[in-house]
Amino acid sequence: MKIQVKAFATFREVMDSQIDMDLPKDATVRTLLTELTGKYERLGELIFAAPGMLRDFVNILKNGRNVHYLAGLDTLLDEGDIIALFPPVAGG
Amino acid sequence: MISQSSNERFLRQIPLIGMDGQEKLANARVLIAGAGGLGSAIATYLAIAGVGYIRIVDEDTVEESNLNRQILYHEQDIGSCKVVAAQRTIRAFNHDTEVDAVCRHIDETTVHDLVRGIVLILDGTDNFAVRYILNKAAIDEKIPFIHGAVNGFYGQVTTIIPGVTPCLRCIVPNPPTWEKNLIIGVTCGVIGSIEATEAIKYLTGSGVLLKNRLLFWDGLRGDADSIEIVCSPNCIDCCASVIEQDVYE
Repeated sequence: MKIQVKAFATFREVMDSQIDMDLPKDATVRTLLTELTGKYERLGELIFAAPGMLRDFVNILKNGRNVHYLAGLDTLLDEGDIIALFPPVAGG
Repeated sequence: MISQSSNERFLRQIPLIGMDGQEKLANARVLIAGAGGLGSAIATYLAIAGVGYIRIVDEDTVEESNLNRQILYHEQDIGSCKVVAAQRTIRAFNHDTEVDAVCRHIDETTVHDLVRGIVLILDGTDNFAVRYILNKAAIDEKIPFIHGAVNGFYGQVTTIIPGVTPCLRCIVPNPPTWEKNLIIGVTCGVIGSIEATEAIKYLTGSGVLLKNRLLFWDGLRGDADSIEIVCSPNCIDCCASVIEQDVYE
């Protein structure tokens, strides 16, 4: 299945700002991040505190809803999903 | 009320928002939380657009390292209370704008006083702890909250309407770990100006608000993009208002 990933703010410094991914049918957010960190070497250390443990402040929105409120890394993905990845921008 | 001299001042914008819109700006009472880089741009553009009352809150004094982005202040203001210096600059822009300069920390005990009588809250803060407090107060008091934040050449904005749109906690459930943000003034100018634009649209009923969308600005690439955002029914801050909205629907 095809999904679209959009990266924002400093994540754009380690990956493409937009990328289409082809994932297996039962893919989860974890599957997606494994694919992405394989493709973009510097992304892993930016988003994972330890293997398989996402840093708290990493925001992943599945069609606009933060996966924190869904099943986190185990959130199932669907054909046509738009996934947004961004760190909090906090300054003022 | 708009003074006689203001008709000349606003000659080029009244056709855009109407005399009625200009009156609405003159009668509006807004809170700018934080008088830093974002607060400077927001206050400047709201005052010169003719907003009648600005309550600006910050507890800091002006430091030299602020001057690369905090355009309300000048070199002679170093060491002065920010909001007092801000009040002076804003009044010099537009003497018809009443400025309530509040040198106070924003926390759970002060926020409800700070939003009293206010129709719109604008985010000029530099941390998520205070943003969450404003977010919750906005939900409790049903006051729209325009969120903006900056980091380096990047920024983000959304307009939060309690009971209608996702709240800040829906989008960003966890605060970032502390880090000294790097920032260049132009980014504050862009994001503060977008926040002020949202405020003017909201107050005058013009255009389409950045509701249910999070806009990202990327100054390094000269690129702006927005994504759809949706309420999280189990959000710890706004779940009640979302449920209320569902009932109304």
